[in-house]
Amino acid sequence: MKKDSLKWAAILGLLVFCLALGGCGESRSPFAGTYRSVEPFVGKSYIDLELKEDGKGTWTLEGKTVEFTWVVNDGRIWVYTKSGAIIIVTPGEGGKMLSADMTADWHPGCPPHACVTFRRVPEGG
Amino acid sequence: MTEEQDRSSEKKVDGLILHELGQEVVVPAGTRIVTQGEAPEFFYIIDSGKVKVFRETADGIRTELTELGAGAYFGEVALVTGQPRTASVETVEESRLIKVSKAEFDHLLDHNPQLSRHIIHQLSQWLVHGDRRLESEVVHQVKLRQISWFDYALMIGLSIIMALVVNIYNDNKIPLIQDWGKGAVPEIALNQALEAYRNNQAIFVDARKSAFYNQEHIKGAMNLPMILFDLMYPLFRFTVEQTDVEKNKAVIVYGGSFSRRFDLELARSLKNKGMERVAVLSPYGGWSTTFPLEGQKPKEPASLPLGLPGYVEWLPVGIFALILIPPVIRSPSLSVACRLILGFIFISFALSKIMRPAVFALNVVDYGMMPAFGVNLWALVLPWAELVVGLFLILGIRTRAAATLIGAMNVIFIVGLVNAIFHHLPINCGCVGEVGEPVNWWKVTKNAGMLVMCVQIFLYDRFFVLDRGGFTLRERKI
Repeated sequence: MKKDSLKWAAILGLLVFCLALGGCGESRSPFAGTYRSVEPFVGKSYIDLELKEDGKGTWTLEGKTVEFTWVVNDGRIWVYTKSGAIIIVTPGEGGKMLSADMTADWHPGCPPHACVTFRRVPEGG
Repeated sequence: MTEEQDRSSEKKVDGLILHELGQEVVVPAGTRIVTQGEAPEFFYIIDSGKVKVFRETADGIRTELTELGAGAYFGEVALVTGQPRTASVETVEESRLIKVSKAEFDHLLDHNPQLSRHIIHQLSQWLVHGDRRLESEVVHQVKLRQISWFDYALMIGLSIIMALVVNIYNDNKIPLIQDWGKGAVPEIALNQALEAYRNNQAIFVDARKSAFYNQEHIKGAMNLPMILFDLMYPLFRFTVEQTDVEKNKAVIVYGGSFSRRFDLELARSLKNKGMERVAVLSPYGGWSTTFPLEGQKPKEPASLPLGLPGYVEWLPVGIFALILIPPVIRSPSLSVACRLILGFIFISFALSKIMRPAVFALNVVDYGMMPAFGVNLWALVLPWAELVVGLFLILGIRTRAAATLIGAMNVIFIVGLVNAIFHHLPINCGCVGEVGEPVNWWKVTKNAGMLVMCVQIFLYDRFFVLDRGGFTLRERKI
């Protein structure tokens, strides 16, 4: 009976450990901040992108805000939408520029027809 | 031998005039007095101290039989039968023994019926006790090989409970059934849609992911991937407004997935945005044989490095070489290795999917084999099943049942992968959650290797297991 209890305790311990391990990732700090698209989206208005340190973020276009979560993986930003899409964002110029691949194909690239480029907005600016 | 028997034998042995026989020896603790298999020479009576009796197999597996204290005796079986020693005896603590030679022992038996009867009685007791022990071992071994519905219910039940509970508190939670209870969407039949297409009376919108759209779509159709609806709708709206079409033109949405995940949801979303004349094409996959098509060869899905799990995933392929070596493939030690490898793979893959079920749900949709009501349930429960079963394998709990569950999962994965390969689906495996792992024959081979590992565990796993027969550190042969 004691061995059974130990086994179950080991299972729970491993489970917690695994989940804790799964939650780990690279630091978000270098990329947290506010960004604005370099060009107006479809020639209409700019997109504001906010990446918060806690892993939440917003995409705002024409007053409509879409929330998402984000992590840093292998130097790239992975944006997760509520619907399950993943947008790979590649930082450039030391994090001042971001290129978002809107194909959501998980390809670490940014094809010109589906690439939105953002520039970091200086704090207070 | 029980305490009562010990006491009883003490009295009887005390009743004999033993001090006139044999030779008194003092043996330090840990000394082997009798060795299994050697020729018998002496009969021993314990005057003080304690000894243990055990049997040992050629490969070193030891079975403890009993411990004997003062007044008990040993070594008589081999002397009576004339066979080699049947067990070994070692002192537990410093013991004083009376060592009786075979000639003296025979003399004792000839002239002491009381001792003869006692030894016969003792041997009979051992036979009965041995039979019971044998039966208990057989039952234990049989139970070890048993699996029951409870084992499956335990693992699947645990997975379902964990999946549902975690989903409630997960920031990325998903509904159990997507679009459950949402209103119906008007449908348009293929022939009507084709007429509207020929007369340029409708805008055709492909709701699938861009990779599917790029591979093949209705000629002239626009792509608004449902998964990016919130972000891409402004672009779609702008494009519609710029096209040279009459106002309030009908919008016909189509998809191609068995789950209808994208087309129905996109049609609803467009209606919610104020588009009134929206309909979905029915049947869902009929467009590919009815409408003129265009597309391009899909680009090879890019793969990202998996890290350590990626290397470990190659190990199951090696099992095909081991099959050729019968002594190895039947080894319980190989079972332990298979359990650790499969456990690691399934746990690490599960962790990549558990916290973001929406991402995995889209992978499930991509395979085009799951009906709408099952997509989210599968996406929620499967990663937990992988985690629970992986843990059971590593910890040695109900390993045969765990192996059959992992084997069943592998069969499903293989069917899905082969289907995707034959239909040239432009998808990622989805095996490791968010990593764009390609679907190819190597992936099928890896899964087949894992399946063989499951069979090996099912047939030969015996070490470090907690099964229905209780915990087994090492296999014991009867």
